Amino acid sequence: MNARAYLRIARNSASTIASYRASFVMGSLGVLCQLVALAALWSALLSRGVSLAGFSLAQMKGYLFIGFATGVLATAHRESRFASRITDGTVALDLVKPLQYRGMRFAETLGGFAPELVMIGLVLGGYLLLAGPVAAPAQLGLLVLSVLLVLPIKFLIIYTSTLACFWTSSYHGIAWARSAVTAILSGALVPLALLPGPLRAVAHWTPFSSITSTPGLIYAGQARGAHALVLIATQLAWAVLLWVFAGWVWRRAVRRLAVVGG
Amino acid sequence: MALVEVRGLTKTFRRADKADGLSGSLRHLVERRFTTVTAVDALDLTIEAGESVAYVGPNGAGKSTTIKMLTGIVEPTSGTVRVGGLVPHRQRMANARQIGVLFGQRTQLWWDLQVGESLRLIRDMYSVPEPVYRARLERLDAVLGLAELLPVVARRLSLGQRMRADLACALLHGPSVVYLDEPTIGLDIAVKDRVRLLLRELATEGVTLMLTTHDLADIEDTCERIVVIDRGRAIFDGTVRQVKDRYARQRTMHLQFDADVDLAGLQARFPGVPVRPGDGARTFSISFDKNALAAGAVLARAVAVAGVLDVRIDEPGIDDVIRKVYAGELTLQAEPEVLAGER
Repeated sequence: MNARAYLRIARNSASTIASYRASFVMGSLGVLCQLVALAALWSALLSRGVSLAGFSLAQMKGYLFIGFATGVLATAHRESRFASRITDGTVALDLVKPLQYRGMRFAETLGGFAPELVMIGLVLGGYLLLAGPVAAPAQLGLLVLSVLLVLPIKFLIIYTSTLACFWTSSYHGIAWARSAVTAILSGALVPLALLPGPLRAVAHWTPFSSITSTPGLIYAGQARGAHALVLIATQLAWAVLLWVFAGWVWRRAVRRLAVVGG
Repeated sequence: MALVEVRGLTKTFRRADKADGLSGSLRHLVERRFTTVTAVDALDLTIEAGESVAYVGPNGAGKSTTIKMLTGIVEPTSGTVRVGGLVPHRQRMANARQIGVLFGQRTQLWWDLQVGESLRLIRDMYSVPEPVYRARLERLDAVLGLAELLPVVARRLSLGQRMRADLACALLHGPSVVYLDEPTIGLDIAVKDRVRLLLRELATEGVTLMLTTHDLADIEDTCERIVVIDRGRAIFDGTVRQVKDRYARQRTMHLQFDADVDLAGLQARFPGVPVRPGDGARTFSISFDKNALAAGAVLARAVAVAGVLDVRIDEPGIDDVIRKVYAGELTLQAEPEVLAGER
């Protein structure tokens, strides 16, 4: 594997994102407002020491922030760029390069990691100021580990859904459907414990719960020790499974290129 | 074994048959109909190392699809392709290392970054050692004027500048086979000349070139061999020289006399050869087949009529020939055994 080339792609991707920093900052401000509003809503629900699904108000505020942070990961390099590579035929140029298509796209996503961390840090500062107090993470080491594992999982879900562009000419519908499903089943909207039973079951048996619910539960200390490790192992397993699945879809997708290229 | 070996290469794909408008689209949802389109039809092609081949044909003839199969982008429906002993669509990465590709209509530059960043990525992709990289940049700079483009953000390049930068991307790793799909499309004369100069240089260095183009002047300058494709089939495969000798034989001599000359009197000297009065005074145009009548003989007969002040001879280019082929007015015929000897 040509690590140097993939690193260079990650760097180029980071520079590209940096050249759009104004829109990036505006996006952060918008998200901060949304987050503060959600915190206010939960403050009304959980006032006077009430707890819901095992979350105190300070923990719920922290969980909301984890939902935001995991939502930001793997998005700085916009998925629409993956999709348009396929719809406008640029993918043909990737196929005459001595690198893996999926690897190149993952490198681009990793290039967004630093800008994403900056954004998360900035929003965290504003959030603590406007919506504090927020409970400190119960198990910081495990939390960092599980948040890092969110990166490949999210990338692979996004990447694989953009491969649908080999079959359909427009990506918007797929993107909307995926982000709606992700918001609900990942636990970003509300903790999974508050979802109706069947929906909760679906969330548990799909990779979506690995995106927000797992790091959220580890943060709040609802998943500790062995339970936390099982959840992290599940994340790892999903990452591997999705990697294999993405390869399978790619091999089928790339055969359809004749139609796309004309 | 030849560098590029193509046998019975065929690519078919399904095209949705949709009637116009919303009702057509809705009907297509319920009742799907497809037409099978054959883009490339049992194509045979052999290219030896170091050859420069023009691959021409009207729009939709299957040129790009062939290039996509040769580069490994598209999998053939049937038939075989081997490039340097590799099967491109199966050994895509290994094949990628030996080829350079330019699609004139697309760019591989990073749109929001300086051109230099895209080139450094190519260097890393192909593990080009730094001294070799610098030497190649210098060479490309000499022909393409690359140095002035390196610090420019790709988004701000003009079309000609973008094409120069993209050519550099396609050549920086020193490929042994280079495929160029419309390398001069939309370029002004000056940039076209630079691109052609670069292609000639590559050819003299022994790089194998395959060029598709609509600008046939590209071909006369750079290619020895021409393959004409129509409806997915090769309808001609021979040398550019041969096409011109055989199908571009018509010459037109424009003469200006020093005295008044009678058209009928002049025509009488050229039985069976059309003579027309020209635009200016005392000017005439005589069209003849150069194999039937030597230019010297035409001139000698003219001089016998009156003194000749000025002479100009028009010679058709390969584009005139190919235009007639596209229009169905001319069928090219190669003699394979002769061709094989010439190659």
